[in-house]
Amino acid sequence: MKRGRGRLVLRKVLGSLLTLVFVLVFNFVLFRIVETDPVASLFRGRNIPAERLEELRAEFGLDQPLGTQFVFYMRETFQLNLGISYQSRQPVWDEIRSRIPATLALVGSSAVFSALIGTIGGVIAAWRRNTWKDHSITSGTMLFYSMPDFWLGMILLVAFAVVLGWFPVGGIVDLGSTAGGLELLLDQLHHMFLPALTLTLAYLGEYTLVTRSSLLDVMGEDYLTVARAKGLRDVMVRNRHAVPNALLPVVTLLAINFGFILSGAIAVEAVFSWPGLGKATADAIRGPDLPMLQGLFLLFSSAVIFFNLIADLAYSWLDPRVETA
Amino acid sequence: MSLAMQRRRATAARVGKQFRDSRSGMIGLGILAVFVVMALAAPLLADANQLNPVFARNAGNPQWATPGEFGPLGTDHIRRSVWAQFVWGSRVSLFVGLAATVLTILIGSVIGIVSGFFGRRTDAVLMRLTEWFLVIPFLPLAIVLASVLGRSVWNIIFVIGITSWPSTARLVRAQVLTVKQRLFVDRAKSLGAGGPHIVARHILPNVSGLILANATLAVPVSILTETTLAFLGLGDPASASWGKTLEEAFANGAMIRNAWWYFVPAGLGILAVVLAFTLVGRTLEEIANPRLGGDR
Amino acid sequence: MSEPLLSLEDLTITYHTSSGPVPAVRGVSLYLARGGSLGLAGESGCGKSTLANSLLRLLPSGTDVSGRIRLDGNDVLDLSPGRLRAVRWTAGAIIFQGALHALNPVQTVGEQIAEPLLVHEILDSRQVARSRAAELLERVGMPAARANSYPHQLSGGQRQRVLIAMALACDPLLLIADEPTTALDLMVQAQVLALLEELRRERDLTLLFITHDLSVLTYICEDLAVMYAGRIVEHGPSGKVFADGAHPYTRALSAAFPTIGDPAARMAPSGLGGDPPTPGNLPVGCPFHPRCPLAEERCLVAEPELRPAGPDRGAACILV
Repeated sequence: MKRGRGRLVLRKVLGSLLTLVFVLVFNFVLFRIVETDPVASLFRGRNIPAERLEELRAEFGLDQPLGTQFVFYMRETFQLNLGISYQSRQPVWDEIRSRIPATLALVGSSAVFSALIGTIGGVIAAWRRNTWKDHSITSGTMLFYSMPDFWLGMILLVAFAVVLGWFPVGGIVDLGSTAGGLELLLDQLHHMFLPALTLTLAYLGEYTLVTRSSLLDVMGEDYLTVARAKGLRDVMVRNRHAVPNALLPVVTLLAINFGFILSGAIAVEAVFSWPGLGKATADAIRGPDLPMLQGLFLLFSSAVIFFNLIADLAYSWLDPRVETA
Repeated sequence: MSLAMQRRRATAARVGKQFRDSRSGMIGLGILAVFVVMALAAPLLADANQLNPVFARNAGNPQWATPGEFGPLGTDHIRRSVWAQFVWGSRVSLFVGLAATVLTILIGSVIGIVSGFFGRRTDAVLMRLTEWFLVIPFLPLAIVLASVLGRSVWNIIFVIGITSWPSTARLVRAQVLTVKQRLFVDRAKSLGAGGPHIVARHILPNVSGLILANATLAVPVSILTETTLAFLGLGDPASASWGKTLEEAFANGAMIRNAWWYFVPAGLGILAVVLAFTLVGRTLEEIANPRLGGDR
Repeated sequence: MSEPLLSLEDLTITYHTSSGPVPAVRGVSLYLARGGSLGLAGESGCGKSTLANSLLRLLPSGTDVSGRIRLDGNDVLDLSPGRLRAVRWTAGAIIFQGALHALNPVQTVGEQIAEPLLVHEILDSRQVARSRAAELLERVGMPAARANSYPHQLSGGQRQRVLIAMALACDPLLLIADEPTTALDLMVQAQVLALLEELRRERDLTLLFITHDLSVLTYICEDLAVMYAGRIVEHGPSGKVFADGAHPYTRALSAAFPTIGDPAARMAPSGLGGDPPTPGNLPVGCPFHPRCPLAEERCLVAEPELRPAGPDRGAACILV
């Protein structure tokens, strides 16, 4: 049994690595097509003598044939040398790295809340199918799911920050604040509330829908009647027998969505000026700061590939019916 | 009338009746009808000149006028009528949404049919490709492509189409495989029928119901993607979609001024249209796949 | 004579579907003494599974149930939810049909057998409950180690045994077996039946055995009742009813199912033509008349009541 499982894991990991390689190739090819002279773009607007530019081109290996350039690119990428941002002239990796925590905090917490609230909503909606509870939960979440997430953010911002003044209008800390420690954390949370609320509302619909339909499928099963016949209370039947079976697709969804965490809030971060990867992407688009976009795309793709792998493995571990052969 | 035609007529009638019975489906259809009419009748509903800032200035429009002060929906930072933007914006949003979806469905269906029909090597290769597209985060890919290709309506349509086809391809392929297993394909082959004939006569009619449902559900994704891309600045600068309206509202301080009339209508428009397509699409899905019905 | 363990009086069950009310059971009365064994036979749609589920009030909410069900002195239809839960599985337990679907796919069979022991607080330690579950598995002829298997890892026959072990967990007085041998091959069928008979005698169980295969019933049940269109159309000692049915339906049913292991009978099958009526759409008069070889004009007048057809026998046919 163990051996079969080990082989399965290996197969899936290799598959993911292959996909990652595809992404790297795609990245390289795409940006090579667009940007034929990165050096010129990097130093656009600066007065650099032509010979110096030539030296830089040689340094970056741009006079080499494409194949060599690709090898060079792969090597650099693995060393996390992702180039220099056109806009800030700083290394791309440094720019990206400094912004990861903000996005992780925002989208991570939103993902957890939307999963929790959405799943519970879906369980209630399914268990009380076709009652007003079901209809209101289903309609409500469909409504939120159908609007652009950043537009919801705009409305919440105007209503609660501009008009009511309960929350700040953007950023992660009050400008000019010299607070530290707990006070700083509270300030950050205060700033995070509205964008987090926006993301939670926008994405809980997915969980509600999937949980509801999964539970409805399970509710038709005989083993629930058997559980009732054994003398279990309704709530125990639901929680011990129905929900564990219904949660399998939800767990997969959750794991997959974690992969989208890093890229999930591009427009919302822009609306709230939240200094994370999303805002960095929005700013990079304006350039266009191609090295940044390239680096961000690579990071986003890697996260998704990684978490898809986790989701796949988690599902095969949780569901005893999955074959290990 | 041939037997096949008669059957098709009967199926259409049955589908029509089932659709009319669905309350949510009819509501969705109603909302859609309103917006399609609005888009088509745009010249009658709003003066296109009001979209031109020079005209607006010369006409003496106030800046940032509330709906009470000017027109049905007030004006923006460069004195243009928001109502005009709303009405004319519906055209672009609907057009891009529909066109991108058509492209998505075309690519997805072709790949799905080819993959399912030819099987083996072709199938394996195409499925790998599909998997790859599914794994890549959708929005970043669209952003990257749009940045690289430039900001025009057709590029946006292309970008959305080319990033959304995988789910259609998978669906179509599964259907084709099911149909392939049915007897009459073998019978047709034994009667000497060739590949394209089999595809046209047998596979397509069985798959088309599901494709239609899938297409209708894909339009919301296209519209929302266009909106987001436009908001991020990747939209066509010349055309004014609802997403573009939101981008301009945001970029020019509509929020700080609480100029809600500038950004609320466009968002409501998107919400309504997306909801409508979702309702219609889910109804069609239930009809095409009766197993899903009754629980929704 | 002591009170019967199970008595049904004029039990009527009507489902409410989107296409209108469906009377699945129409005025059934029967009695089962302690230690007795009653077989309930009929084709699909005759109401036998509905009847079985009603005994523990397992029907979907909104279903109309009228009449009386007395089980071990309890008026089942009148019990409070708490009392009902206490009675379930302890007074009566069901061996459900379709073993793969009757078991939770993500729990081991051992956990599922042990569950009622913990729910009814017969045992309070998980460990002890698990070992009792393992004992039960052995009693039904499976190795104790199988307690850690998942349902999909077992064969059809093994799953059926698991359901039997599960039903016995709380030492019920009444065992209701709902088509326990359907979908099993003949060899395994015989084994399962032998097991049930053994267990019945060993634990002095009262058995209600439901099936569409009459020949199986004669082997394991003392008495037999035949259902058609939601009513009992014949009842009596199983041997006599099977060999010489008073109701034409019984005779046709007996002929349709050869005795287990009788090669001669398999060579000459006599099927029963037509389909059983849909519960919402019953024929006028006697519901069997469209398929009855002996039908006359009188049969369309009214639905026949049960008439005596011998000592301890009854049949609902005007020709009796």
